[in-house]
Amino acid sequence: MSIAEKMASNQKQIAISEFFEKNKHFLGFDTLNRAIITAVKEAVDNSLDACEEARILPDLSIEIRRVPNKKDHLILIAKDNGPGIPQKSIENVFGKLLYGSRFHAIRQSRGQQGIGITGVVMYSQLTTGKQTYVKSKISSESTAIEVNLGIDTRKNKAVKFSQERVIWTEDDEIIEHGLMIRTEMKAKFQRGSQSIGQYLKMTSIVNPHANIKFRYVNSDGEIEIDEFWKRATNNLPTQVNSIKPHPHGIHLGQLQRMLKDSDERKLTSFLRQNFSGVSSRAAKEVCTKAGLNDGAKPKLLKTEQINQLLEACSEVKFLPPPTNCLSPIEDLLIKKGLSKTIDSKFVTTLTRSPRVTSGNPYQIEVGLIFGGSIPSDQQVQLLRFANRVPLMYQQGGCLLTQAISSVDWRQYGLEQSGGKGVPKGPATILVHLASTNVQFTSEAKEAVASNEDVLQEIRKALLEVGRNLRRHMKKKKKMAKAQEKFDLINDILPAIAEKASSLLNKPVPELSATISKIMNAVIMEQTTTWDKETKTTRINGILYNYTSRPRSYTILMNWPEKQGAVMIDNERGGRKETIGLWAWKIETLQPGERANIEFGLDNLEKGDWTETEVFYRGSAEVIGASKLDEKILEEMKNQNSDEVLETMEVITGDIDETISNVASRSMLNESTSDEIQKESFQTTLFDEEEEV
Amino acid sequence: MSRRREDGETKEALHQIVNEMYKKLEKGETPTMTLPVRTKLNIDFDKKLGVYKYGKKRSTRDASSLGSAKNLLRALHMVEFIDEMIDNGKSSTLREMYYISEGWGHGKFSTQNESNNLAEDLEIITSSMREDFRLRPEEDGSRIIGNLTINELNRRGEWMKINARDDVGDSGYGVPYNVEEEKIQLLDHDIDFIMAIETGGMFDRLIENGFDEEFRCGLVHLKGQPARSTRRILKRMNEEWNLPVVVFADGDPWSFRIFGSIAYGAIKTAHISEYLATPSATYLGVTADDIVAYDLPSDDLTNKDIEALKSELSDPRFADGYWQEQITTMLKLGKKAEQQSLAKYGLDFVTDTYLPEKLAELGLA
Repeated sequence: MSIAEKMASNQKQIAISEFFEKNKHFLGFDTLNRAIITAVKEAVDNSLDACEEARILPDLSIEIRRVPNKKDHLILIAKDNGPGIPQKSIENVFGKLLYGSRFHAIRQSRGQQGIGITGVVMYSQLTTGKQTYVKSKISSESTAIEVNLGIDTRKNKAVKFSQERVIWTEDDEIIEHGLMIRTEMKAKFQRGSQSIGQYLKMTSIVNPHANIKFRYVNSDGEIEIDEFWKRATNNLPTQVNSIKPHPHGIHLGQLQRMLKDSDERKLTSFLRQNFSGVSSRAAKEVCTKAGLNDGAKPKLLKTEQINQLLEACSEVKFLPPPTNCLSPIEDLLIKKGLSKTIDSKFVTTLTRSPRVTSGNPYQIEVGLIFGGSIPSDQQVQLLRFANRVPLMYQQGGCLLTQAISSVDWRQYGLEQSGGKGVPKGPATILVHLASTNVQFTSEAKEAVASNEDVLQEIRKALLEVGRNLRRHMKKKKKMAKAQEKFDLINDILPAIAEKASSLLNKPVPELSATISKIMNAVIMEQTTTWDKETKTTRINGILYNYTSRPRSYTILMNWPEKQGAVMIDNERGGRKETIGLWAWKIETLQPGERANIEFGLDNLEKGDWTETEVFYRGSAEVIGASKLDEKILEEMKNQNSDEVLETMEVITGDIDETISNVASRSMLNESTSDEIQKESFQTTLFDEEEEV
Repeated sequence: MSRRREDGETKEALHQIVNEMYKKLEKGETPTMTLPVRTKLNIDFDKKLGVYKYGKKRSTRDASSLGSAKNLLRALHMVEFIDEMIDNGKSSTLREMYYISEGWGHGKFSTQNESNNLAEDLEIITSSMREDFRLRPEEDGSRIIGNLTINELNRRGEWMKINARDDVGDSGYGVPYNVEEEKIQLLDHDIDFIMAIETGGMFDRLIENGFDEEFRCGLVHLKGQPARSTRRILKRMNEEWNLPVVVFADGDPWSFRIFGSIAYGAIKTAHISEYLATPSATYLGVTADDIVAYDLPSDDLTNKDIEALKSELSDPRFADGYWQEQITTMLKLGKKAEQQSLAKYGLDFVTDTYLPEKLAELGLA
């Protein structure tokens, strides 16, 4: 039972201020730092939910101002472009403890922190005595409504102090719809890992469809922080369906209430009508097991009987609940969200198929970013999310942390003492749990409670991204080796020749034969870079023949064709090998010769395509490229043609998937079983253990 | 007996190194640098000289990996640097050269150890001494106390007579880094032997107790592993004055090595052993037997100590019966003792009892 429900069922009238004081720890207002974060959280969650329901791409703006000459007084200004709130509902939304429709719905929702935005209005009033200013504009009205709100602490309801109709403009533009709140409260502004900045950054990662602005103004009126996290996609999260509860996930109180409210005349029809996954056979079985008559009137069941019914529910098998009530972010968008907020060298993400635990559908998404500007001598930063809401506190006691700590990260290249605990290294790990019913350890809703099914599911996902990380590191190591050779022949050897010649007063000798001797290999040097000027991704490859014999190869590179990229400036030509794989024939490369392969990718954004895989067909090894496995290629081609015939929707919209992942993704989508988390395609496309 | 080489000869020898690289490049091959293997596996006893020298084993560094290619480039820069110093009549310390290498682009050193080692490599390849290269160490030599007189050429270019007992303070005569004939002349003495002492504490104890006068000896402070100039001046006093040299050190594996480098030549400088080693030097103590015989306070051997002793067992310099026995005894004991552990029996024990007894064994007291 949530605290709000507890409050509602509590018949005794208690002063709201007393209630607040007693319960501020799980209302999120226990410390001055946390109070402002909670307030921002309530405002942001409301805005995102409202935009999502109204199918509006959210533009949010949060501003914190320090009040001059008052210790620990902050003003919070939150603005959105949501649908706004009709005049008559404002008092309810901001002044009542239980308001809104999502309370009994079984679906994935952001959920409320404590008692919602009302708590913010109360907290402001209790700590500063000030009213909360609300401006709302709905598109069907021509003017916006401005209201100053307070709470009547005895009557437990909102009071309007003034009300006015105004024309709302910002930067000379009339606002069509939106909401703005301004409130003053006792609170402290902090920076660091538990701060508004971090909260909004995390929010932006898991809400890639939102534009989020954040500004902090100090007591001198100077803007100290001015951040803008731009949206990475124009697609709103898919709208989730509400589902009926599943008998395996029901609790006594809920069952009692449902029985009391029911209109059904027979117990079996009650079960079938009000729950998901209950067939008539299963409904009968429940009644039999509970020792109750099929035709018993639901409304009249006694507590003892309800207990029997609940017991019986846990013993009977039901169909799983539908999972379309979940709205995962999707791995690609997580990748985009991570790439835009954290500077790194490598990003890997994964969205698992939905699963069910105790009658509750849930879905796990994970991401891992590595390298770049992330400090390497510290603990890995953990980003925990439940239903798109960042979890900022109680990291240690959270299931998501436990899952991360249970993985032996040493095998994937991160430091970790004893193979347990939060690893160390230049990485950030993200875990998102989407569920119709996230179980928290407490009402503070900051840590997910233990659940073995969910833990194992997260582990599986983490192992997968771990493998991707290891593959990435291996590739980097190979490239570093090749790079050493390049340094040797490009810098050191010419310097030796030049210095030796000048000391002996002799001409500088020709080095190509020596270079071939030293390298004695064919080498592929390849870079993928973003070109700011042309806003295209540039892929440059040079194949060097540093052997004493002529060589010929077919060089292949993957590219995000399915994701809508357009290949440009490919002067060497070549041909399409299969979808997302291009091939260039290099007829003869004489000793000491090089061949250039260059092309650009248009229709992509920065960060969409950062690593290109190079493969080769030919007899002698190419350092910096992988030998193409023809069998796997054949499979890929078949799969691609099937896909084209069947449907095109599977992959569209995904931009930054390597060709290898494309294969594993389509396998996933074809399969109904969610057990099919096979090793990613890439591992088998070439021999991983092959060392240069 | 100055061993100084002609500048032209040094330059010529250095240019041979450059030539080897250039020739390989001309032929389209990988440039190389050939030098003697510098481990105990490649030191042989030179019967004629009575010291250990590098043997015939050669190793080749080639430019096929980034690390060794850089080393070749550094060698070229160093040759150029030495060339210029010789031409301009300048000299530099090893440390200065290390800092100068900052400007050598890809050829710069990352630690001074690297540059010191390469300078040694060049000495060995060209059979030169670093003085020929105009390079000198920054560490000074040791200190000497005793009734012996030296002529030293001072900075004004005048010869200065110094008696290491009468003309010096308590810290003794400081040995300069260059102890060759053109700088130091050994004039006269009235002593019977030279005692080389490992630690400063013991050196000062013997001075305070007036040991040098009572036993008519010269005391030389080694400062741990002795610098080249210390070993060189020991050798000169031994040869020119015909004085016996005894070594008084801690009783541990590292002291054995100190003695080895004085008597037989150090592995690192085996190319110039004949100028640095004093083959007739004897080890006075502290021996493994002393630890038992005098019941000295001792420490357990560490793993590193044990490794060092085991490695000494297969070191050709310690192949004779005396050293094999000392080393195995110490291994069996599992103990080591410092010189100053003799203080267990009082401050005068070392000068009144221990040293007289040990010297008597050698017929020096």
